[in-house]
Amino acid sequence: MKQSSKFSRRNFLKMSGVSAAALAASGLPLGRSASAAFRLQGVTNIVFGGWGATAEDEGVQAAIVEFEKQFPNIAVEWQNTPLASDYMQQLLTNFAAGTAPDTSFITSDSYETLAKGGQLMDITDRIMNDELLGQEGYFFPQEAVRCADDNGRWHGIGSTWVAAQTYHNLAVFDEAGITPPGFKDDELWDWDTFLENADQLTIDVNGRHPSDSGFDPDNVQRWAVDWPLGNFVLPVGAIYSNGGTWIDENGLVALDSPEAMEALQKLQDLVYRHHVAPRTAAMADLGMTNTQMVDNGRLAMAIDGSWALSWMNPSTVTHATLGTGAIPYLKEPKDYMQAHFHSVINSTAHPDEAWEWVRFLATPFYTLSFMKIGLWLPSQMSQVTEEGLQEWLTPGIHPDNYADFVTEYLPKHGVVARIPDGYIEADSNYITPAIQAIVNGTPVEEVMPEAVRQANEIISSMQH
Amino acid sequence: MATSSISKTSKIRLTPTMRRTIVGYIFISPFILGFIFWFLIPALASVYLTFQRWNLISPPTFVGFDNIERLFSDPLLGQSLKATILFTAFSVPLNMALGFFLAILINRTFRGIAIFRTLFYIPSIVPAIATALLWAWMFNTEFGLVNILITAFGGPKIPWLQSTTWAIPAFVLLSLWGAGSSMIIFLAGLQGIPDIYYEAAEIDGAGPWAKLRHVTLPVMSPIIFFNLVLGLIGAFQSFTIVYLITSGTGGPENATLFLVLYIYRTAFRNMNMGYAATVSWVLFFILMILSGIVFRYLGRRVYYEHEAE
Repeated sequence: MKQSSKFSRRNFLKMSGVSAAALAASGLPLGRSASAAFRLQGVTNIVFGGWGATAEDEGVQAAIVEFEKQFPNIAVEWQNTPLASDYMQQLLTNFAAGTAPDTSFITSDSYETLAKGGQLMDITDRIMNDELLGQEGYFFPQEAVRCADDNGRWHGIGSTWVAAQTYHNLAVFDEAGITPPGFKDDELWDWDTFLENADQLTIDVNGRHPSDSGFDPDNVQRWAVDWPLGNFVLPVGAIYSNGGTWIDENGLVALDSPEAMEALQKLQDLVYRHHVAPRTAAMADLGMTNTQMVDNGRLAMAIDGSWALSWMNPSTVTHATLGTGAIPYLKEPKDYMQAHFHSVINSTAHPDEAWEWVRFLATPFYTLSFMKIGLWLPSQMSQVTEEGLQEWLTPGIHPDNYADFVTEYLPKHGVVARIPDGYIEADSNYITPAIQAIVNGTPVEEVMPEAVRQANEIISSMQH
Repeated sequence: MATSSISKTSKIRLTPTMRRTIVGYIFISPFILGFIFWFLIPALASVYLTFQRWNLISPPTFVGFDNIERLFSDPLLGQSLKATILFTAFSVPLNMALGFFLAILINRTFRGIAIFRTLFYIPSIVPAIATALLWAWMFNTEFGLVNILITAFGGPKIPWLQSTTWAIPAFVLLSLWGAGSSMIIFLAGLQGIPDIYYEAAEIDGAGPWAKLRHVTLPVMSPIIFFNLVLGLIGAFQSFTIVYLITSGTGGPENATLFLVLYIYRTAFRNMNMGYAATVSWVLFFILMILSGIVFRYLGRRVYYEHEAE
């Protein structure tokens, strides 16, 4: 009996072999195929990859429920990664491993690269032949500029638009007797008006303005404006408004043009010369967000992305009345618009079903949920008609003048750029460090020409 | 019966030695498989990639020695080498000194010593993300604990993570947070020193300093050497904390662009796997040469007790 109960070496080896085989077998269907077990007969499963916090996650899930009602033969599996940068790394790895999803979010700076690399399905004909999306004037006019390649082919559809705007504390403006900027042409601020008003809105602990003698820039009680350079969507509008451009017609970085450098210098001057804006580091060190600072009056005006309206809105700014307006301009009003894309991945085994899903994402149901919470701006013209506006403008989220932003300002002054292949490397290696140097006080002329030269070397090497 | 005899004759008979050999290989197979799949194959693949341009989305294309040529004209490689060497040069000796000092402090027996040992060791097992968040706040210019201490002694507020001058010192300081791991190895070594050595030294009239210099340090030299080699390799491979604190940028202005962060960024952000593989080989050769120098010039000064016997 004792002998028979002994766990022999042979038994151990047998069990090890069986366990290893079982593990190997169970490991095989990991990943996408795992969901195959849950597939229903006649239902095609497609994977949708993307990123987003809770709001985006909930929006996508709600869209999937609605889509699956309309298309009971298609099931969408949502694979969410919290951060865009993490997601793109994951997507690249998936491409390399041959396990890419069927459909995906695509960042605006990688769209051209992936389209050129043949990873994104050409959906031009499907759009043109679509009853809804193919209608003349369905999208904002800028849509074609960002989506179409040199041959006019589309490899994705923009998810939405976002752009820079101002968020201001109306009580602070009232107290200073200054009318804040709005979105209509006669409500916009040119640079001189902006500087003059910014001086009046900024006060140190002794109540002095920067133009007063004895102003103490180290002890500022209230800054007029925070215009961060770190997120490049925010300063680009100023560059365009000065007659400059971010990416030129040859697909090269043009931040070394006199106009672009002058605009960047003027933005830096707000901090170091005019003392009307805090250093970025000072903002971080204060431990307060721009929302909190606008709310408590430490900041008269924040310039941030339109997406920030989802957390910086009349419902969250409770100690003040929040207003919104367009960013100040240098020579002519301009604002930069962008957003991520939705694309069908070329390797999909279900191109028709994948297209149906991407198409659905470009219809009002999906976009409305994000527009209502202030995260997105409309990208479809039907959403900026009198009737369309009522569908998404939400009291408590959108200030009273917000319709002007999408009906007047952006259609007229919004500019877009196609971000060339190689820009990601050029940016992370040279442009971002140059911007960091500018943020830290280095004059623009000292860093930007060399950074642009090196950035364009990388981009040029991709074009040949 | 006939069937049984056939099966018996067809069975492969293993000798006890063969059986032991097979079992031995099975037991070391996790390492062998790990070595093959996670080191050898990737290493060979990276040799192949060194001569390719591959953005992960299109098939690799042969570019000859382009990636290697780029090494000699890449200002960022110079910058990342500078940052990594500076960090290593300060963090490794300081970490070892602090680890050794702490180990001596806690190498005694009194009531509650276990609490001190635990407290000194805990920081080194705190997850990297928690460490990053904690120290990002500690280095806050206005409200950070580090600056509060400095200003309490009349010093200036230092923009640790915003200044290109102070970013590396900040990460060196931060690295001391993990001195507990070298401390625990030093402590194990200290506890292995027989009391008889100290007693003999005391009889010869040695004081604490003489005992440390002539007994502890020589006997501990293999442990110090071990910690030095591990420390050098670890410092050259620093990545997680700097990635977390600088959001992967290696900022400000590439001041903290450590070599591994640069490799990672080149591969997965800049989509240039070929050049990333090439820089990886630079790191490999640096570590190989550095280890060779350490073994050549310091290894011979290490005292091994068993050799003395």
